[in-house]
Amino acid sequence: MSQELNPNYPDSTGSEAAHDPLVGHAVKPHLEDPRIVLSLLEADQVVAAKERMRFGPRQLSRGVRAMLWGLRVYVVIMMVLVLISVLRAVHLAH
Amino acid sequence: MDGPKNQPSVPSRTAHPTTETAAASTAAPELAALLTHEDVDRARDRWQVAHARRKGRRAAKFGGLRVLWLLVGPGILVFLGENDAPSMLSYSADGARFGIGFFIPFVVLTFVMGFIVQEMTVRLGAVTHRGHAELIFDRFGKFWGFFSMGDLVLGNFLTLITEFIGVRAGLGFFGIRPIVAVGGTLVIVAAAITTGRYWTWERITLALAIFNGLFIPAAILARPDWHAVGNALVTWMPLPRGNHYEILVLILATIGATVTPWMLFFQQSAVVDKGMQPRDITAGRADTLIGALLASVFAIATILATAPLFHHGIDASQFQGAEFAQALEPWIGHVGAALFALGIFEAGIVAAIAISTSSAYAFGEVLQTGHSLNRPLRDAWPFYLTLLGSAAAAATLVLLPHFPLEFIVLTVNVIAVLAMPPALAFLLLLVNDREVMGEHVNGMWANVAGITVTVLLIIAGIGFGVATVFPKLLGGQG
Repeated sequence: MSQELNPNYPDSTGSEAAHDPLVGHAVKPHLEDPRIVLSLLEADQVVAAKERMRFGPRQLSRGVRAMLWGLRVYVVIMMVLVLISVLRAVHLAH
Repeated sequence: MDGPKNQPSVPSRTAHPTTETAAASTAAPELAALLTHEDVDRARDRWQVAHARRKGRRAAKFGGLRVLWLLVGPGILVFLGENDAPSMLSYSADGARFGIGFFIPFVVLTFVMGFIVQEMTVRLGAVTHRGHAELIFDRFGKFWGFFSMGDLVLGNFLTLITEFIGVRAGLGFFGIRPIVAVGGTLVIVAAAITTGRYWTWERITLALAIFNGLFIPAAILARPDWHAVGNALVTWMPLPRGNHYEILVLILATIGATVTPWMLFFQQSAVVDKGMQPRDITAGRADTLIGALLASVFAIATILATAPLFHHGIDASQFQGAEFAQALEPWIGHVGAALFALGIFEAGIVAAIAISTSSAYAFGEVLQTGHSLNRPLRDAWPFYLTLLGSAAAAATLVLLPHFPLEFIVLTVNVIAVLAMPPALAFLLLLVNDREVMGEHVNGMWANVAGITVTVLLIIAGIGFGVATVFPKLLGGQG
């Protein structure tokens, strides 16, 4: 909270409009100029860039697969138990 | 089944890119020709932040506050959105059945858990600019992605139904007919999205969300014993007494009132839609912390507001929204009861907006269609249709005669807790993935905290399972 919100703390990346000559001192942004729009967004923040570039799949180790399967089985069993408990509660209520 | 086989044949990012601007990238000329309305609106928001930082550096005083004001939103919305109708009813039940004691510090603990988890979604969104569903599908493949979406869709839809139950019950206190209450809420949800601008939507919803604070005057009117509140916060005493099975279900419902899968999906997508960048992570943390603090104060206020029912021996085991308000009237007066009923209505309406938006974001990310509140209706109609369609379907069910509303209210928070461990596993795997997060991967303490939350939720779930299979073990009704 301290550094990033401190107005006296300079931008570490220098990648935003603060240092961009196109928009650096403008009172209002001229967003009809695509260069200004691009200077305000990160490279992979533009919709067209996101659509064409996706994160590739990661290799899942045996341990990770076992954990994901274990948690999946856990959820299925728990949902069955929720159903049992609700049916029991509804039965008792009536 | 898993991994690479199901992936689309699109170029993949094998490592996290730098934080260079789009203008500085080699594809800049090509991107300039492909800019969308969404990009321009997001750039406008980024300019505001850049301008505030620049002015702040010159003015020094309060400059940081202006930046914070511009960057808060997703964190406050997610926590006040999760202080929804079933959650407020869970807190009401905690207060009415056990008074001032164990549940007050327990609620604080659940919000600490919530903060730990939600902070990770801020980093994921700000660094990757991708929503949670999109990242799960990209990194783990369709097989695991659809499982994850299944949990989200089921949980979100059941929760949405309970929001409309809350709206109906809250306004029912004032004699407003269900069709007017539910229909009016649907109109407000629709009105919020017609702006075609994330910023406007966020500020409208934040303005509505702040009325979650209505539970504070209701609590003050209940004249709580502040000494007992302080004592409970320190000692966690007195512990709840009675039927252990019912206590366990209430504990689960209270956890489910704070830590649920839709929150992960919503906050990450909202951070992306807001256009937050890695340098905004600290502000995002502050936003999440403010949200958790506000929501925990409002939750405790709800417990305090209903504590008179416990002290006067009123059986609140079958109460829903309006019944709580009516039962409280002799002790907190008509104004207090009306504030309580309005609070339940507000909780329902804000959550209906947030949860339907969470579903729409996830659908848009999975179907790879436009999924931004910065898009006009004509450009992203499947996104807006999902948002309004899910809300309308839930609203319709609430109006059907003989629909088992009680069944849904009973289970929704419990289901949220039980579905949470797999969602947390995906979250922890993603936030530890250096190819995705670069230098922003989880540190050791974040992992210890995240794993602890996951293990606690699993233990709570197993406890519920054992108590359901062997009800007499905990004194439940067999």
